[in-house]
Amino acid sequence: MTLQTVAAADPFVPRKARKDVARKAAFYALMLVIAVIFFVPFLWTIMTSFKTIPDAVNVTSLPHPWTTSAWHTVWTQDHFPTYIKNSLFLAAVIVVCNIFLAGLGGYAFARLRFPGRDLLFLLVLGTLMVPDQLRLIPIFVMMVNWGLYGHFESYILINLVTATNLFFMRQYFLTIPKDFEEAAKLDGAGYFKTFWRVMLPLALPAMSALIILQFQGTWNDFFWPLILFGQGDTSHYTIQLGLAEYLFQYSSQVPQVMVGSILAIVPVLIIFLVFQRYFVSGVVSSGVKG
Amino acid sequence: MRGARLREAGWGYGFALVPIAVFGLFFVYPFIYAVYISFFHWGILGKQAGGHGTFNYSKVLHDPIFHTALKTIAEYTVAVVPLELALGLSLALLINQKIRGRNFFRSAFYFPSIASSVAITTIALYIFNANGLFNQITGSNRAWFADASTVLWSIVGLNAWTTSGTVMLFYLAALQSIPDDVYEAAAVDGTGAWRTFWRITFPLLKPAHFFCLVVFGIGALKLFDQAFIASMEPAAQTTRRPLRSSTSTTRRSITTTSASRRLRASSTSSSSSS
Repeated sequence: MTLQTVAAADPFVPRKARKDVARKAAFYALMLVIAVIFFVPFLWTIMTSFKTIPDAVNVTSLPHPWTTSAWHTVWTQDHFPTYIKNSLFLAAVIVVCNIFLAGLGGYAFARLRFPGRDLLFLLVLGTLMVPDQLRLIPIFVMMVNWGLYGHFESYILINLVTATNLFFMRQYFLTIPKDFEEAAKLDGAGYFKTFWRVMLPLALPAMSALIILQFQGTWNDFFWPLILFGQGDTSHYTIQLGLAEYLFQYSSQVPQVMVGSILAIVPVLIIFLVFQRYFVSGVVSSGVKG
Repeated sequence: MRGARLREAGWGYGFALVPIAVFGLFFVYPFIYAVYISFFHWGILGKQAGGHGTFNYSKVLHDPIFHTALKTIAEYTVAVVPLELALGLSLALLINQKIRGRNFFRSAFYFPSIASSVAITTIALYIFNANGLFNQITGSNRAWFADASTVLWSIVGLNAWTTSGTVMLFYLAALQSIPDDVYEAAAVDGTGAWRTFWRITFPLLKPAHFFCLVVFGIGALKLFDQAFIASMEPAAQTTRRPLRSSTSTTRRSITTTSASRRLRASSTSSSSSS
């Protein structure tokens, strides 16, 4: 709009430039329309979360009256704080394990020479082709036999390190010049010290991307928590499991369900807003579906 | 010299040991175990008498629910992948202009891709239900996720929307790797924008097309969260296109009707008796 007015007010702007400005304005209008389409569902969700249950029927209007009662109910009368705590705990443990183990393994496959390395690396990549649904029954039986079924340990164990993360770290280590390791060697650093003090700090950009993507993956995961914790005992539910259960039992309490949905989205949103750069570079370079 | 090499190999194995053990124990072994189980009668008590053979395969291949599942996932994949790619490429082309607020738009378009699939599907169930926001705006009264004739296409639409942001990122990276002189040459020849796109940009994106087709094709075949949550749509309790194989119409908890409960029941009793 403002661009158009500027163009109209200036008589010296040639005809072609005016056309360009009009085109530009139309382009931005289109972009804004698309952005609005992307935002409307989220705005509607936030709006509905501040409604009363009877008011939630009026889907096109603003809350009347505004109330935080749905937020209060979800936070105090349900187990959402527990779900969030569980999800944060699992995400934190799994992210730390993945950084360390994917870093160690990635470094070994990138730089250390040992017999059978390439064959083992093929095996690691091969695990990417095993679909979760195929592993479902064997892993379930294993966890039951080990007495870990329904415990956090089962979920942590199967997510200790993923092939995607290991591959991602390896690719990054390959780009670091060998000079750093040679310098460390001259200083008398052993293999682990070289890895821990020199290579891992140099791989900080890769680690940042890994942290963010793995946090998002664990926080959003629904399939494995459903299999391993979904036995009706809510003390081990993750946020996604808790939200699904809530939708299942209280689907008529629309504002509360919306509060639950917001709680399930917000942590990832915050991390996304802070670390956008790493999200984009991480997704593109690792080829992970985000 | 030989000692140094041995030492390096030792550290190499040491570093790779835990990851290799994890992959062996939770990927390779379950894979082999699953294949093994598939050739036996395997009940709640574990392996049963009756020898081995391919009877489980023929049973599944003759199961009408399995046929429905195959047909549904095939329809879904064939529909959703081209849509995701087309939407993602369109967004990438829009973003790839020299514009202000590029990062803002990129983030806005990408965000649905990383938001929780359970939450997004939950929100969609309400926006597209019979009295939902979508119908209030368009004047329709169809319960999109509850109606057996539209639920699949609703999930297609939902996932095309959420996934298009990720597709966009890949296309954006590919678009930026096309050198400027190609476009300059086209401009010198007086080629129009539309023709430039179809004759130059689109063919040069071939590696990206192929990559996205594979990655998002696999992703589509793995559909689970959205279909599972959509089957919990309140009005869909009697929806009869079995996106999940349960035929139960009563629901108490998310696990009551899910495969996980049946699995648990069978597996718990098998372990306690063995």
